[in-house]
Amino acid sequence: MEALANNFQVLFQGLALGSIYALVALGFVLIIRTTNVVNFAQGDFAMLGGYLMVLFLVGMPGNPDLGLPALGLALPYWLAIVLTVVAMGVIGIAFNYGVYYPLRNRPFLPVLISTLGASIFLQNTVLAVFNPQPRPLDKLVGVDGITVGGVFLDSQYLVILAFTILAVAFQYFLFEHTLLGKKLQAVSQDKDMARLLGIPVSLMIIITFVYSAVLGGLAGVLVSPILFVSIGLGSAIALKAFAATIIGGFGDIAGAIVGGLIIGVVESFAAYYISVPYKDAYAFVFLFLVLLFRPQGIFGEKVSEKA
Amino acid sequence: MPLLELKNVSSAYGSVEALRGVSLKVEAGEVVTLLGANGAGKSTTLRTISGLIRPTSGEIWFDGKRIDTISPEHIVRLGLSHVPEGRRVFPGLTVRENIMLGSASRGRLPGKVIEEGVEQMFRIFPDIKRFENALGWTLSGGQQQMLAVARGLMAKPKLLLLDEPSLGLAPVIVQQLFATIREIHALGTTILLVEQNAHMALSVASRGYVLETGNLTVEGSTSELLDNEEVRAAYLGGHGA
Amino acid sequence: MRTPDAIAVAPARAASRLPWIVLIIAVGILLPLLPYMFKTSDYVLNIFMNSVTYAMAVLGMVVVLGYTGQINLAQAAFFGFGAYSVALGTVSYGLPFWVALALGVGISGIAGVVLGLTTLRLGGHYLAMITISFQQIFDLVAVNWIELTHGPDGIAGIPRPSLFGHELSDQRAFLLFSTLVLYALIWFAWWLPGTRLGRAMRSVRDNELAAGTVGVHTLRVKVTAFTMSAVLGGIGGGLYASGFSYISPDNFNFARSIEFLTATLLGGAQSAFGGTLGTVLIVLLPEWFKDLPESLRFLTKVYLAIYGLAVILIMVFMPEGLWGLLRNAWGRVRKTAPQAVGKIVPLNFDIKVAHRTALLKLENLQKHFGGLKAVDGVDLEVMPGTVHALIGPNGSGKTTTLNVVSGIYRPTAGKVLFDGKDISLMAPHDRAGQGMGRTFQNIRLFSTMTALENVMVGGQRDNNPLQEGHDNLRHRALSALEFVGIAHRANEVVRNLPYGHQRYVEIARALAGHPTLLLLDEPGAGLNQTEKQELVGLLKRLRGHGLTIFLIDHDMGLVEKVSDKITVLNFGKKIAEGSPQDVLRHPDVIAAYLGEGPSGAAARA
Repeated sequence: MEALANNFQVLFQGLALGSIYALVALGFVLIIRTTNVVNFAQGDFAMLGGYLMVLFLVGMPGNPDLGLPALGLALPYWLAIVLTVVAMGVIGIAFNYGVYYPLRNRPFLPVLISTLGASIFLQNTVLAVFNPQPRPLDKLVGVDGITVGGVFLDSQYLVILAFTILAVAFQYFLFEHTLLGKKLQAVSQDKDMARLLGIPVSLMIIITFVYSAVLGGLAGVLVSPILFVSIGLGSAIALKAFAATIIGGFGDIAGAIVGGLIIGVVESFAAYYISVPYKDAYAFVFLFLVLLFRPQGIFGEKVSEKA
Repeated sequence: MPLLELKNVSSAYGSVEALRGVSLKVEAGEVVTLLGANGAGKSTTLRTISGLIRPTSGEIWFDGKRIDTISPEHIVRLGLSHVPEGRRVFPGLTVRENIMLGSASRGRLPGKVIEEGVEQMFRIFPDIKRFENALGWTLSGGQQQMLAVARGLMAKPKLLLLDEPSLGLAPVIVQQLFATIREIHALGTTILLVEQNAHMALSVASRGYVLETGNLTVEGSTSELLDNEEVRAAYLGGHGA
Repeated sequence: MRTPDAIAVAPARAASRLPWIVLIIAVGILLPLLPYMFKTSDYVLNIFMNSVTYAMAVLGMVVVLGYTGQINLAQAAFFGFGAYSVALGTVSYGLPFWVALALGVGISGIAGVVLGLTTLRLGGHYLAMITISFQQIFDLVAVNWIELTHGPDGIAGIPRPSLFGHELSDQRAFLLFSTLVLYALIWFAWWLPGTRLGRAMRSVRDNELAAGTVGVHTLRVKVTAFTMSAVLGGIGGGLYASGFSYISPDNFNFARSIEFLTATLLGGAQSAFGGTLGTVLIVLLPEWFKDLPESLRFLTKVYLAIYGLAVILIMVFMPEGLWGLLRNAWGRVRKTAPQAVGKIVPLNFDIKVAHRTALLKLENLQKHFGGLKAVDGVDLEVMPGTVHALIGPNGSGKTTTLNVVSGIYRPTAGKVLFDGKDISLMAPHDRAGQGMGRTFQNIRLFSTMTALENVMVGGQRDNNPLQEGHDNLRHRALSALEFVGIAHRANEVVRNLPYGHQRYVEIARALAGHPTLLLLDEPGAGLNQTEKQELVGLLKRLRGHGLTIFLIDHDMGLVEKVSDKITVLNFGKKIAEGSPQDVLRHPDVIAAYLGEGPSGAAARA
């Protein structure tokens, strides 16, 4: 009975972490579908979300070399979240104009490399403002968790699961039941045709980047109380989100969610039963194998079909 | 003053000069057709008019305004709707959603107005009504063509550009399609029709132009063009007679 | 269209470059000797050592990314294979340095082969992900498999080797040795692009589809590129380990791979010198920042952020890196010398028209895309020594048929027989190896290469009846260019040539491979009337030499003048076949092209 409870615990944890990967993957897939850009900086949106929360809840340590003063803030949690969302929106806009727009007509390799550059830039800018020390973040809810049938359910995990369900529902509603959502889908399916109908494609793309940045940022806000806020947080999540996208079928939204959950669960069980230090490796090995044997993923179309 | 006028327009597609000094006009209320073999530059002409390609020289005037320097999104808002070749329905959206998006150029419209517009389209294109909730990619070629034209009409355009609507469609379907084109014209839309199928095109148009490798070679009324040796030569070479 | 004999232009370029070359060589010899002449601190020596070994890794990136166009974000792992092999080999297992180094290079090379093989299925983003995953796994193992790698503590006390009896334990001596190795590798990387393999690599980078069609074994080339990159990285890593006597996992992680990438891009990915320049800048940049005035000193803290920004700016504003900028400036000063055409041997065709049977035969060929039957049961024979045209209205299946014949698509059913052999499932490069040449409607040339190089790649196909040797290949290419009338522009980069000339280069590229069958996809597309006349002349001359030509075009005037036989397709099926006079007056054909009027279909129904 205890083994069952333990397994359930591991499963629960895996689903929660997997939800984070799914959230980041969602934003990732949106950008791919609208602009055909694979954004290697997607995970760093989550990292930024975490650090923005630290900034608003605690402040920043200051950096004498850069002339940055130490700053102490102690805003209420809800306000910090609101400000983080706004800031992430601004970052999304900046990303659109700084990274995507100048390269929008170039082949994929320069764009890919640019997003890598953006990732390095974001990480090291944050590093310069804060120091490398990982920081804890308070949970959203004051309660530690609840125990159900011998299984301890961490409150933050519950919040993550709840939010993910809400986010997926919201995204579904947006895309399936609003005209804006239809316009976004149109842009992702045939950009030039959308232009011919008078749909403001550039604006749609900005919206996509803003939405993805905010979604990524919120994922970071939710996971930071568990994983600690650190510079490398983004990279770790990004690769798994990417893996989720591929496993689910490149470009498929439902697939990205399923893929994220699968990776979270696989990782959780592997860490519990095999070993913890190599926890991250399992996701990569899994990805490696998927890419080699079924690159089209679960829901996707054949990748190697020549045109 | 003509509704649409091209003055000595040249335009390139990649590094190839596809249009060389083309001048043509379309008066309000007409159906004018642009004929020519594949590769003659017909699609390039429409893409240059609708703003997807910027001309290298010359001017394009629509409804008294110069449009060769503005973006496609703006051009369609002026009342010029382009139904491009290959149909290009949004494959992941339903028939109804495709049609609704056709009204995007008319600004914020109340839901009711959009609904009425969609219903009107279903009256003109009854064949696709039963597919109204099916995804675009599931429709046949002919149905997709109908859908594409319906979507283009939702913009309530003054001028409709139709690019090779008969492409890849079986002859019987082409008949139905052109009957519908006649109906649309009767409802008051001016049409510039690009077609490879010269005979069908000339059955709905009042005037036509013939393009050969980027140059306008023949111009005339429908009766002048029907069974015209030069038209046949444009398609089948000098000895096509 | 004979070109006038151009006066042979003396190799003036080489002469005026001489002083620069002497200067560079002098600097090259002096630099590693400087520490012997002046007292240099260990700190400075370390910077040199860093630059030299990193430059080797960056040269690997130049080969795989710059020359072959494949993204590789695992270079630090390859660097690490070399370093850890030397470190563990000498310290933990007591192997001699050279053995450990050889082992490291070998392991790295195998890893390179494995990653290269993944490009069979994947390219682009997927390849980036695979290489990142590989790098991350390496990272995790290096840090966590403490029994093997000593984990974060690293490995210390790595010895220096002796060479021919001389101990290289003096840091300056080892640095000198490493610098000489680097020079050798720079020379190799500089020499590579002009070789057969180098041209094949560049063709894969510029246009992989066309490369396969003209006979390049694209997978083999990509695997070779990855292996070379890995080997170069391994050598660098091995020397790095010995040079610093201590290594730890954070020298071989993803961040380091990004640094190698940045250095490559900054200096110029497509040049060995560019890569070296970029490495020096990346290594020295933080050092220079330290010498900045007080107000700018903060840059040392944020230089990594600057890297990131720099990568974006480089991609936007100077994708060819600094070396590219320098070279373009140089190019504006110096114009390309025209090719002397006086001594070019006329092209020989070597076509043995032995049999009367069809050279190309399509048997009930079918190609379906989902529900769409693009080619719906086509039977066709192309007789040797003839020009056979395939025509039909837009959407009739002509281009699809051609693509099935050249191997870009697999047939859904039916067969393609070439000279009696069933080639239906053969890869494009193998078809080129059988003597099939092809041009593309939207001209697929290797845009950064000269006309001569483009044509030489065509001559590199398997089984080309050509004598061995670079000169023979070059002469063959010149002959082909002369045949199409543009040999005088052989040394110009093709993307600068006018459209019509580009078309001719494509034809010459196919001719260099001694084809027996030439597939031409809309050769007249984009040409004006005069150019089309010239094309007709060219095609007739080709037929006169015994070549068989199978072409698609929309210009009926051209088709009629040049074809012996025409097949007409409509809706994927053959509707007429015969001589031009018969076919172009056939009522079914006229109806297919001009379309049927409203009465026509009613009459049929």
